[in-house]
Amino acid sequence: MTAVTDPSQRILELAPVLDFRAATPLAEGLLAMRGTALTIDSSRVERIGGQCLQVLLSAKKTWSADDTALSFTNLTPTFIEGLRLLGIAEADFTREEMSE
Amino acid sequence: MSVDAMATVKQTFFQECEEQLAELEAGLLAIERGEAEPDTVNAVFRAVHSIKGGAGAFSLEELVQFAHVFETTLDHLRTGALEPSADVLGVMLRAADLLADLVVAARDGLAVDGERSDVLVAELNALSPGGAADAEAEEDDMSDFSFTPVTVAFDFSDSAADAGRSFTVSFKPKPELYAKGNETALVLRELERLGQMEIICDASDLPLLGELDPEGAYLEWAIKLTTEKGEDAIREVFEFVEWDCSLSIQADDAETGSTDDALAALLRSIQADETVVPVALPDAAPPPAIEEPDPSAAAAKTGAARNEPGAAAPQTIRADLERVDRLIDLVGELVINQAMLSQRVIEAGHVPGSAVAIGLDELEQLTREIQECVMAIRAQAVKSVFQRMPRLVREVAGMTGKSVRLITDGEGTEVDKTVIDRLTDPLTHMIRNAIDHGLEKPEVRVAAGKPAEGVVRLSAMHRSGRIVIEVADDGAGIDRQRVKALAAGKGLIAADAPLTDEEIDNLIFLPGFSTASEVSNISGRGVGMDVVKRSIQSLGGRLSIASRPGKGSTFTMSLPLTLAVLDGMVVTVADQTLVVPLTAIIETLQPKAADVHGLGGSARVIAIRDAFTPLVDIGRELDFRSAATDPLAGVAILVETEGGRRSALLVDTIQGQRQVVIKSLESNYRHVPGIAAATILGDGRVALILDVDAVIANSQSDVTNLEPVLAAAG
Amino acid sequence: MSATILTVDDSRTMREMLKLALSQAGYRVIQAEDGVHGLEVLKGESPQVIVTDINMPRMDGFGFIEQVRSDAAYRGIPILVLTTESDAEKKDRARRAGATGWIVKPFDPAKLIDAIRRVAA
Repeated sequence: MTAVTDPSQRILELAPVLDFRAATPLAEGLLAMRGTALTIDSSRVERIGGQCLQVLLSAKKTWSADDTALSFTNLTPTFIEGLRLLGIAEADFTREEMSE
Repeated sequence: MSVDAMATVKQTFFQECEEQLAELEAGLLAIERGEAEPDTVNAVFRAVHSIKGGAGAFSLEELVQFAHVFETTLDHLRTGALEPSADVLGVMLRAADLLADLVVAARDGLAVDGERSDVLVAELNALSPGGAADAEAEEDDMSDFSFTPVTVAFDFSDSAADAGRSFTVSFKPKPELYAKGNETALVLRELERLGQMEIICDASDLPLLGELDPEGAYLEWAIKLTTEKGEDAIREVFEFVEWDCSLSIQADDAETGSTDDALAALLRSIQADETVVPVALPDAAPPPAIEEPDPSAAAAKTGAARNEPGAAAPQTIRADLERVDRLIDLVGELVINQAMLSQRVIEAGHVPGSAVAIGLDELEQLTREIQECVMAIRAQAVKSVFQRMPRLVREVAGMTGKSVRLITDGEGTEVDKTVIDRLTDPLTHMIRNAIDHGLEKPEVRVAAGKPAEGVVRLSAMHRSGRIVIEVADDGAGIDRQRVKALAAGKGLIAADAPLTDEEIDNLIFLPGFSTASEVSNISGRGVGMDVVKRSIQSLGGRLSIASRPGKGSTFTMSLPLTLAVLDGMVVTVADQTLVVPLTAIIETLQPKAADVHGLGGSARVIAIRDAFTPLVDIGRELDFRSAATDPLAGVAILVETEGGRRSALLVDTIQGQRQVVIKSLESNYRHVPGIAAATILGDGRVALILDVDAVIANSQSDVTNLEPVLAAAG
Repeated sequence: MSATILTVDDSRTMREMLKLALSQAGYRVIQAEDGVHGLEVLKGESPQVIVTDINMPRMDGFGFIEQVRSDAAYRGIPILVLTTESDAEKKDRARRAGATGWIVKPFDPAKLIDAIRRVAA
């Protein structure tokens, strides 16, 4: 539970279009923040494809393995719809990872 | 699509067909001559392929079928499986001719000669490696070829008709799926359109971020789909991605329990991964539309002009011909108006060099430039006419049993569209004539020490403001004795008329010289060279012949570049204003008493530098007056006809030279012998434009009678 | 703003048919006459989908797809190729060159729009 109070908590804002071409920059951006508690701001997301979903799911897995806090905020309706189509529930992204 | 819009596209299609057919023929001929570029065979293939494609869109089945067979054989040529031998190209050229006929038939809704098509299909198939077997495969292939648009509705009348069948779909994309621009989210969106969907994402293969290839593919989806559509509809959703993913689609034939069991098992197998949850989806509500703000909108706007199609090639627009003609008419009016204005200004007492006069000069310059630009819009290369000729040559050569090579030159020479449109018939006739009458049979040629293959050369060039088109053959030349005997036999000339070689050659242009009984059905078609000459003259053109025994004949036609304006000399005859085309005029002179000789009757000649030239009294020829004009009170204009014959036209006074706008007399009034057209002058008066050759031809009988006298006088 | 489609075809007839069908479906259409021209037109444009013919002068459809796929700026754009029913081999080659999907000629406008919807985000 230490991560919750981590003062170095940082915020990453997702790009509006998370398509095939956004996957590599997103993965690089996330890797650069590995080891710090992270809040992913999803307020601008308009659509998401399979590969960015992979990156985000992998990030969740990674932060969880690192025992570091990762949370998603401001999920837009289109982002939620995109996740639903890809078989992911909104709750799964808003649930606090550190509860594990 | 609206009927009108489709009709417009269809029109485009037929226009494009003509271009493709020309390309096809030019390409095949280049291959035949061994002058093909590396891409020529591809261009030839593409031409037929394009015609087939468009024809398919308009359900022009006969065209599609033949184009398909033709294309298949061309493909063998393209891949090198078929050698471009003379025989092969012969078949292909004939196939190209048939294709052209099929296009015309399709355009005009005419019936097609099925037999001719069958013969060529058989010949084309015979060329294909594998021969008959291939031909049979061809038939099958063709029956596959869909003429009616494929219906897209997911309505499959198979066993899937019963409502609410369930399918379990397992879908694991490969990286290639994304690399080719496909997207799992879109595939799933399409799938959801089919019915009710439950979907589970299996992320168990997903590595940690450090090992993840962001453009790899690790996820697998398990989908339960309840749909009224069949399995084919589901497969169709995966049509574009089926090579780039692992896919299984299973119909849940047993009661729904087993599906649930299967899904439950699938769920259990992936339960370990806490990021994955089954998502119960609501009734297939369409996903909300995803609006994407387009960051390139501004760029698109500014870039639009620059990046419009055609930016690379010279830009062209297609304009309604009527609009261009209207523009030309208006510019013609402008020229007349400007001339009238100039006249008024002079009448008002403004001297040359005054500000008003200078301004008017500039206006005149501009007007002329505008006119030239507008005329250039209508200008077209003679290529469009020339490229019809190779086919004609093949046909006539085939019918006459002669071996002919056509050489064309100057195809890019431009001339007004009206002239182009009216060039085909006379040219066709002249080429037929050159092959049928000009060239000898191969054995005769060989006996005369010439190559068995005759040459017909068709060339175009610009010469002193006119376009000159020549049809030259290397045949036997005109048989003058025979021509003279024929003419005498028809009473066209006196049997003992002493004619020069040139005059004999020109006899073939006399009305009544050639009749249907003498010309073969190839050149003839009931038309004599006199008709050809007249049709060229009606365009303001001239036709002449030069022939050398044993070497061949050359027909030369010279035509104005435009039928809209003319540079002319304005003259007065019996108070009437006439315009003499400048192209016909050699010089003007003041007749002196010593030079004019009467020859009995009204016929007179004038001596110009030691040569006697007939003096044609225009006032009398056109019936402006009955009395003979006093040559000493008038001016003689020395003109030359196409045959090279010189005459002096006697007129009263010369007003000056100017460019005039041609107004057809025939369309406004009626044809008047000796008059080519009319124009409106600066002072608003109508002036007639003299048809020099016709006027001289009218006085031809006098001239012919003059010959012995001239010989005596000379 | 409506989505933009780039059509690349050397046949004017085909370009007009595509434009007619696409603009009636509400798309903005930009056109090119062959692969080389297509790459030129792409500069300054970002079409949602590209529809291209295969047999074209200068640069054919295969070459064009490869060029688009190797350009970082355009490689994600879905590309549909126009092919004939009998061209199984060509379809396969187009797919390997990186085509997203295909439209069988002669095409039905509804089928064309459907194919575009399937690949357009």
